[in-house]
Amino acid sequence: MVDWALATKIAGAGFGTVFLVLIILAIVVWGVSRLIQSLGRGKEGQAQQPGGR
Amino acid sequence: MGPLIGGGLISFFTGGPFPGSYVVAFLVGCFFVYMGIAKKWEPLLLVPIGFSMIVVNLFPPLFHAQLYIESPTEGTVMAVNVHPAKGEVLEIEKEQLLLEIREPDGGIVEVRAPTGGELAKEDLLVKVGDQVHPHDRLLKLEKVSILQSGAEGTELFSRIFQGGILTEIIPLLIFLGLGALTDFGPLLANPKTLILGAAAQFGVYFVFFMALICGFDIKEACSIGIIGGADGPTTVYLTAKLAPHLLAATAPAAYSYMAMVPLIQPPVIRALTSKKERAIYMKPQLREVSVRERILFPLIAAVVIIWLVPRAAPLIGCLMFGNLLRECGVTERLSKTAGEAFMDILTLLLGMSIGGSMTAENFLRPQTVMVFALGIVAFAAATAFGVLIAKLMNLFSKEPINPMIGAAGVSAVPMSARVVQMMGQKANPRNFLLMHAMGPNVAGVIGTMVAAGTFLRLVG
Repeated sequence: MVDWALATKIAGAGFGTVFLVLIILAIVVWGVSRLIQSLGRGKEGQAQQPGGR
Repeated sequence: MGPLIGGGLISFFTGGPFPGSYVVAFLVGCFFVYMGIAKKWEPLLLVPIGFSMIVVNLFPPLFHAQLYIESPTEGTVMAVNVHPAKGEVLEIEKEQLLLEIREPDGGIVEVRAPTGGELAKEDLLVKVGDQVHPHDRLLKLEKVSILQSGAEGTELFSRIFQGGILTEIIPLLIFLGLGALTDFGPLLANPKTLILGAAAQFGVYFVFFMALICGFDIKEACSIGIIGGADGPTTVYLTAKLAPHLLAATAPAAYSYMAMVPLIQPPVIRALTSKKERAIYMKPQLREVSVRERILFPLIAAVVIIWLVPRAAPLIGCLMFGNLLRECGVTERLSKTAGEAFMDILTLLLGMSIGGSMTAENFLRPQTVMVFALGIVAFAAATAFGVLIAKLMNLFSKEPINPMIGAAGVSAVPMSARVVQMMGQKANPRNFLLMHAMGPNVAGVIGTMVAAGTFLRLVG
C-alpha cells in the first residue's frame, strides 16, 4: 500500500528544493560575478590613471 | 549449475527464470554491443555492458556470491537438518531450518537460512556435538545474491559489483572525472540557465509518481524517477543506495536513453514549440568568464549545495573537486588524469559490473520492462517541462530566449545541447545555440544531484 501523503511530500519537497537550491546558486553566482567584474573594472581604472599600475 | 557451454549447453536453452531466458539475455547483450559499435550509441558504456552481459549469461557463476552463516549464540550443535551427500548439492530455500543449537541454560536456538542458495557437503562447517561461540561460522551457502547482507562476491563480476557499485565508489569517482571534463563557463555567463536545469528535473518527480502507480515501492520509485535526470552515475549511485535489486534495470535504462536523446527529444520539442519559437535568434557569443569566476564556482557551488542539501555532498563534492582541478591551473596533471585515464578505468569497471549483474535472473523480469518504459516517459517529461519553463521565462525576459534550450536541462551532456543546436540551425540557419544550451545542460547535472540528495534525505 502506497503512502500517498509521504509520496506527495517527497515529490513536492524534492522538486521545491531543487528549484530553491538552484535559484539560490544562480543568485550567488550572479552576485559573485558582478563583484569580480566590478573589482576588475576598478583595477583597470587605477591602471589607466597616471602613475597607476 | 547454469548454462555452461560443454557442461550444460541444454540449460542455456532451458534454464533460468523461463526456458530460453539465458538465450534472450545473451541476445540483449549482443544487441547492446551492436548498438554501441554500429550505431555508436554510448559505445564507451554499451560495449562493456553488452559484452559482460554476453559472458555472464554464458557462465552465470561469474556473478555468484557466497554467504557464511554464523552462530548467533554460544552452545552445542544439537541437530543438523540438512544432509548433502558427498558430491551432491542441496537447494536451500529462504527460512529453511538448517541447525539447532542448545544453549548452556537449556534453551534451543534455531538457525534458518536468511536467503536461498546451494549447500554442498564441504560447506557444512560443524557437526552434531560441536561447541560453538557467537559468530563462529556454521556453514556456507553458495550462489546467493550479492545483495544479501553479509554476502561476499567470489567471482570476477560479483567482486567488482560489490567493491565498486555497492560501496558507491565507482559512480562517485566518475563524477570526479566528469568535473574535470566539464566547462561551467556557459552557466557562469548566464546563471539564469540554472532555472532550466531545475525545471527539467520535473521528469524525475513525474515518473516517481508513475512508478508508484505501477506498483513499485517508494525507494524503487525514487530510483526509477532519477532516470529522468538523464545522468547515469547519479542513477547508479541512488539505486545502489535505495533499491540495489533494480540496478540491472535502471543503469542500462539510464545509459541507453542517454544515447537515445537525439530520438526522444526532437518530437517532444516540436510538439511544444512553434516554428517561429524554434527560430528565435540568440547572439552566439556569451560573456567571457574570468579565470577567477571559474575557480570560485566549484567552491561556491559545493558550499551552497552541501549547506542546503547535505546528502548531496558525496556527489557534488566529487564533481566540484574535479572541476576545481580543471580550473585552478596548477593541477594540470591531476585534472588530465582524472578526466582521461582515471575516467576510462572507472567507465570500464562500471560497464563490466553493470553488464555482469545482468544475468537472466536479474534482468529478464517484468520489472525491467516497466523500468525501461518509465525511463522513456521520464526523459520526455523532463524535456517537455524544460521547454515549457523556458517559454514561461520568455514572458519576463527582456531578451527572448529560444525555448528549445530548456530541453537541454536534462543532464545528458552534451547530447541534448547538440540536439538543440541542430534543431536551432534547422529552424534558423543564423542560430548557433550550442553554448546557450550548454548552460542548462550542465545545470541539469547539478539539478539531478540535488534531486538525488533530496531523495536520500527524505527516504534514504
